[in-house]
Amino acid sequence: MPTVKNATALEKLSSPESLEALRKDIQARSRQTKITVTMCGGTGCCASRAQDVMDALRSEIKKNRLEYDVRVRITGCHGFCEQGPLMIIDPGNVFYCRLKPEHAADIVSRTLAGGEVIEDLLYTDPVTGRKARTESAIPFYRAQDRQLLSLNKLVDPLCIEDYIGAGGYAALAKALSGMTPAAVLEQVKKSGLRGRGGGGYPTAKKWAECADAPGEEKFVICNADEGDPGAYMDRCLLEGNPHLVLEGMALGALAIGAQHGYIYVRNEYPLAVRHARAAVESARAAGLLGGNILGSEFSFDVDIARGGGAFVCGESTALIASLEGKVGEPRPKDVHTVVQGLWDKPTTLNNVETWANVPSIITNGGAWFASKGTKGSKGTKIFALTGRVKNTGLVEVPMGTSLRTIVFDIGGGAPEGREIKAVQTGGPSGGCLPLSMFDMPVDFDALREAGSMVGSGGIVVMDDKTCMVDVAKYFLTFLRDESCGKCSTCRLGIDRMLEIVTDITEGRGRLEQLDLLTDLADTVAAASLCGLGKTAPNPVLSTLKYFEEEYRAHILEQRCPAGVCRSLIEYSIDAHACTGCGTCARACPHGAISGGKKQPHVLDASLCQKCGICISSCKFGAILVA
Amino acid sequence: MKKIVTLTIDGATTRAPKGTTVLDAAIEYGICIPHLCHIPNMTDIGACRLCIVENIVDGRSRITTSCTLDVQEGMVIRTNTERIRHLRRNIAELLVAQAPNSRAVQDMAVRCGVKEVRYPFRNDDCILCGRCVRICSDMWQARAIGFVGRGAERRVGFPFGDRPAYCKECNSCVDTCPMTIVPCEGSMKPGEAHLCGGCESQLSMASGAQEAMCVMCRLGEGFKCSRYGWQ
Repeated sequence: MPTVKNATALEKLSSPESLEALRKDIQARSRQTKITVTMCGGTGCCASRAQDVMDALRSEIKKNRLEYDVRVRITGCHGFCEQGPLMIIDPGNVFYCRLKPEHAADIVSRTLAGGEVIEDLLYTDPVTGRKARTESAIPFYRAQDRQLLSLNKLVDPLCIEDYIGAGGYAALAKALSGMTPAAVLEQVKKSGLRGRGGGGYPTAKKWAECADAPGEEKFVICNADEGDPGAYMDRCLLEGNPHLVLEGMALGALAIGAQHGYIYVRNEYPLAVRHARAAVESARAAGLLGGNILGSEFSFDVDIARGGGAFVCGESTALIASLEGKVGEPRPKDVHTVVQGLWDKPTTLNNVETWANVPSIITNGGAWFASKGTKGSKGTKIFALTGRVKNTGLVEVPMGTSLRTIVFDIGGGAPEGREIKAVQTGGPSGGCLPLSMFDMPVDFDALREAGSMVGSGGIVVMDDKTCMVDVAKYFLTFLRDESCGKCSTCRLGIDRMLEIVTDITEGRGRLEQLDLLTDLADTVAAASLCGLGKTAPNPVLSTLKYFEEEYRAHILEQRCPAGVCRSLIEYSIDAHACTGCGTCARACPHGAISGGKKQPHVLDASLCQKCGICISSCKFGAILVA
Repeated sequence: MKKIVTLTIDGATTRAPKGTTVLDAAIEYGICIPHLCHIPNMTDIGACRLCIVENIVDGRSRITTSCTLDVQEGMVIRTNTERIRHLRRNIAELLVAQAPNSRAVQDMAVRCGVKEVRYPFRNDDCILCGRCVRICSDMWQARAIGFVGRGAERRVGFPFGDRPAYCKECNSCVDTCPMTIVPCEGSMKPGEAHLCGGCESQLSMASGAQEAMCVMCRLGEGFKCSRYGWQ
């Protein structure tokens, strides 16, 4: 394997010109590499045993004495987590998926040594049945516009040279050689970039307010305390390309006049913590962080702070309190954090994805960024597509792409012939949107108008087996557990909403409770202290708005249309469909199913706990839910 | 000499020194904003949410707690709109459903117009207003008690569950607790599922007066309204 120089051995870069020289050197060296094998080492692929595949691959390469011709690059997430572990082999950009350690020998002997493409390992389109040779031939990738995510596969997150080779730190060099802070700010303003963390606040406006705030000492903070169920785009960016985030932060610091930055990353992301730390160290060693960056007057350094696992610490004031060593609770925002933030100093806090967008804005100009997206929301946005959809993974599309494109064209629609009913966007602060609204463009303003929000960008797809009341109950339970409890409306209000929704799912609901629920939701939204409380009623309000008939069915008919709420459903066995195979009887942990061999089985409703194990064990669809 | 700013509260032009909160300024002027967790001269945390007001900024109304909002030159505040009264009633309803046996909370609920409670009563002894915590930390600098836990598990407790030596048993926390006011005769007994309404007779004084004007009502004494001062 050609040795990539260890980052710490890099000489300190003293000027933008020396950075360019280093970049040319790295690119020339990488052209000499005959074969590059890029493997996704993101959390998703690692969970699918990517590490075993890598180990097997490395030992096979050694066995075949190809170490000097092949470079194995372990990168961050490629986005197509559904098909992991993933591998891309250059030259040819051959894309292999769903790899297992036993494939390694074949890959090395046939593809790496022989240059042959192994058909069995290619991606098969489930609709057409055709094999796709490269990423660009796969519908999942083809329909996307991967500005940020496409960098992930080019960069080993632990190797700063990869990032520099891919054009990294060029934006910082450009800004430091001739751009004033005001010019940087002007480009961001032109780009129309809005905060990717949820609120969608114009980034340039925030920066300008912070730059104008009185005080010598200022801070920038990167919020990597991502906690929405189902959302993981920030983790993937920080794991896969930490230097991109660092460069964005440095540019922000330059624009507002900050000297120090913090990345607040949740401790449940060990890989992100490790990669961010390594990136800071190697950037410092290379003179891209620290005093007099690239020989200029500008000094900026970053520290990594780990979060302790509170969802509410993703809220800016709670995050700042936590960073100061206090209890992570929000405070009233009547004085904004851009004026009085960390240690009462002006502070700009942005989300990982927001920071990651900045370098390309400076390199390509704000107008380039503004050419993508809709009137009010510019650029691309990464969404985490999860739930009842064929292709789960990270999706990057221009703002304004319709939900239909995301769910059906990229996501491939519902698996097993089910029908998609709704999507939930924006995590616990967002709402549920029905199929009839799928043609709506996804941007900050359109989603908010519809009663949901972009949020951090989670999209959970739901099919006809999902009960919307149960969804509201799930999110309320999540929020009740994650509310800090400081203010009464959030603590008591969410608890009472959950009480009412639980009543409804358990058959004790009354029709007048729906009015109470709406009234209470309005109070919680209007009078709560922080963003968590203000947006907490969204899951309830949006499901009530679009799926009121489901609530009514629960209350008036004591029926759960999706067959989810346990108190309202009964299991039984269809005697015609049952073959008497006995699988369900063996699977039932409560002994509720009995019957003779080859005889239709019977289900004892008094013993049945409605766990659903029998349904998943029955091959004949003989278990009925009513 | 402190800088004086001019602001409008419910249409009345008032003047207050810079650094005062809107709640203090309003009460000083005689405008009643119901409040519970606020104690004069102590840090406000905005826990009970009862003192919400509308702050009109650029023609748009922002709802925020007046105890955490500092006065600013030219501010326009509305404390008693239809919307605020409705929200305040709902908040008071949540609080009284949680702790229906506290006379202070009952008084407050009646003052905010709660006639019936739409939730099952819970008979808790604490509504987490944090008055005790702030008396201990702000006034006595002792920090012998604090908030423990998150969300539904939040409670007031000693560090690690043991009474520390620096707790001087001064009882300030007990004195300031809205739960420890001697209950009136009509007060609820544990387990009862309705409000006694005994305080409503005292409302006559408040409701007859011009809207939102402080009439030094006896109810205010019950919840230790700032008008009565910290005693």
